[in-house]
Amino acid sequence: MTLLEFARGPGMQWALVIFLVGVVWRLVGSFLLARNRDLSKPKGTAYAKAGVRAMIMRSIPPHELEKNIQFQHLSGYAWHLGFFATLLLFGPHVPFFKQFLGFGWPTLPNIVVLVIGGFTLAILIALLIRRAIHPVMRQISTLDDWISVFLVIIPLVTGFLSYSHVEIGAVRYETMLALHILSIEVLLVWFPFSKLMHMFYTFPSRYQVGVAMERKGVKA
Amino acid sequence: MRKEQTLGEVLAAKGVSRRGFMKFVAATTSLMALPPAMIPKVAAALENARRPSVIWLPFQECTGCTESLTRSHAPSLEGLIFDTISLDYQETIMAAAGHQAEEALAEAMKLNDGKYLLAVDGSIPTKDKAFSCIGGKSNYDVFVEAAKGAAAIVCVGTCSSFGGIPAAQPNPTGAKSVTEVLKEAGIDKPVINVPGCPPLPNAITGVLAQYLTFGQLPELDHLGRPKAFYGQNIHDRCYRRPFYERGQFAETFDDEGAKKGWCLFKVGCKGPVTYNACATIKWNGGTGWPVEGGHGCLGCSEPGFWDWGGFYKPLSQGQWGGWKTLGVAAAAGAAIGLASVAVTRSRQAKARQEAKV
Amino acid sequence: MSTGDANDSLRSIGVKVEPVSPDDIDAFTLNVLPLLHEVRHALERLLETGEPTVIDMGSIPLAPGEFEKIDGALGTGEVRAVLESMGPSQIYETQFSGVWRITHFNAANEIVGRFIEVTRMPEILLAQETDVRVGLDLLTRKLSGESD
Repeated sequence: MTLLEFARGPGMQWALVIFLVGVVWRLVGSFLLARNRDLSKPKGTAYAKAGVRAMIMRSIPPHELEKNIQFQHLSGYAWHLGFFATLLLFGPHVPFFKQFLGFGWPTLPNIVVLVIGGFTLAILIALLIRRAIHPVMRQISTLDDWISVFLVIIPLVTGFLSYSHVEIGAVRYETMLALHILSIEVLLVWFPFSKLMHMFYTFPSRYQVGVAMERKGVKA
Repeated sequence: MRKEQTLGEVLAAKGVSRRGFMKFVAATTSLMALPPAMIPKVAAALENARRPSVIWLPFQECTGCTESLTRSHAPSLEGLIFDTISLDYQETIMAAAGHQAEEALAEAMKLNDGKYLLAVDGSIPTKDKAFSCIGGKSNYDVFVEAAKGAAAIVCVGTCSSFGGIPAAQPNPTGAKSVTEVLKEAGIDKPVINVPGCPPLPNAITGVLAQYLTFGQLPELDHLGRPKAFYGQNIHDRCYRRPFYERGQFAETFDDEGAKKGWCLFKVGCKGPVTYNACATIKWNGGTGWPVEGGHGCLGCSEPGFWDWGGFYKPLSQGQWGGWKTLGVAAAAGAAIGLASVAVTRSRQAKARQEAKV
Repeated sequence: MSTGDANDSLRSIGVKVEPVSPDDIDAFTLNVLPLLHEVRHALERLLETGEPTVIDMGSIPLAPGEFEKIDGALGTGEVRAVLESMGPSQIYETQFSGVWRITHFNAANEIVGRFIEVTRMPEILLAQETDVRVGLDLLTRKLSGESD
């Protein structure tokens, strides 16, 4: 079995299974966590409104901090959008999703995806370097942070190398494509057990904070 | 034609002029996919080339490779190459049959021991040595005997090169490639793979011409294929590549994209992982090739192409097991999640009780 | 069902043949311009150093119609020759003097080689040393009455 056959065969199968088992396990586990009953008298009861408001407001930098976190904020948005644009709007990627969903969608010309992907990769590398040299960032970075950033960068790098059809020693396109698919599979396996779970947690937790604050009568 | 004659002498004896010879050289150089700058060298080598003996053994094959070769250019320059080699045994096209044929084979092997070129099409069954026997002899034994006395072995087609269709899952005959059998039998001979299902006729004759011209094997890639024919990627040389770049794909074989000749990646084209010269040399005397005919590349010159999970499955798709498998995975995840919640809650309850006490 | 019915039902399948739009033709012709530039460089080289160039058209992955486009762009010039040896060969000068198109056919009239030669005179047209010798020999024998 060649590397590509493994990547398109058992590799893909197991990565998807592990991803799903892990994600559902963690979601069920965390949503059903036992919480102590709050016995205080609620100071506000517009929970849904407060929850939705928090989901929106916490996605925008607070005015007081705007200057300090502008770079982080914008670069964060930029690479997230770039990553998903590259993932979803590159023609050859669509059949991957089509196999699950049964339908596809229009895509962008390769040159546009290349530019977006290039920017995304550049931002991610800049953020990785910043994490390495910024004294505060270095202090608060965990192994999870390092591995997660690394695993998000690798598919982009292997994707570019696959696309360009360069031969690096004995590694030709078919092997590079296999490495590209495998890099996604590793990302899928790592996903449920890492901070990448924020993809599912971010908005529910913001909602939850909004509800808690409403109950306490805090406008946040 | 006597064996001692050089090709130059053979052509002169046939009344071919020097101009005719130059034409032959130009076409042969093109056939070998060598740059035109090599023409003088080819001319010098061809003029003094001597007639090599070729023994062609068919094993588990469909004769498609022989068809590709013989049907392509009837009385042609390649035909002349065949006049120039001494094809001493080829079951499909030889006049002799039965014992006479077997004797011809034995004699050719004896006369040219250590010097003949062995061409093989078809894979070699190894299970029980019971399949595809010829005159009571297993393919394995026939091959090993012939391989021992060969100067070099040319594998014609994907079956002899990599196992091909007979070796596809579940491989009921235990079919193996020439390289695998040689390794098993402990025979060390130069092997040149000319895969394809079938290979381009030019690739087959080109390799024979190369051997005839220079008396040596051409430069090979990591899979033992001549780089002149298998050095380039189909996708890189495809005339439909601009559509790929623009993100214009045929989604089915009868949609607008298919009619407009857009990229066939999404209907399963394996061009990106296939190395062959179809895009350049083309088929049927250069009139077209599969992608030009509107069908994606199957990857027939690559090992294991038959087991790649489907000719119409795009490269970016794979084995995902269907929603049932993924549903089971999700249910398993939910079960583990519920179990962990139950354990945690009972621990919390216990702790709470202990705190009360 | 009779054959007539079968034919009718086959005819009822709407067959639509779409002409390729000019945009798409341009997409196919990526090889034409680079090849013409290559020819231009070869002509420059011929003038400067006298070095001839041969381009094997069989080594270029041409899209449908590109071959005709290239030949159309090169056009035809003043010289046209046919060589009869192991099948015919067509040789002609293009509208660009010094640029020749050579097509070799085998005895079955199948194309076995297509070349663009950038040279003052394709070598294959020159009388070859060995052929001249054979001819001289033949003529000498004829004149001395040996061939009768």
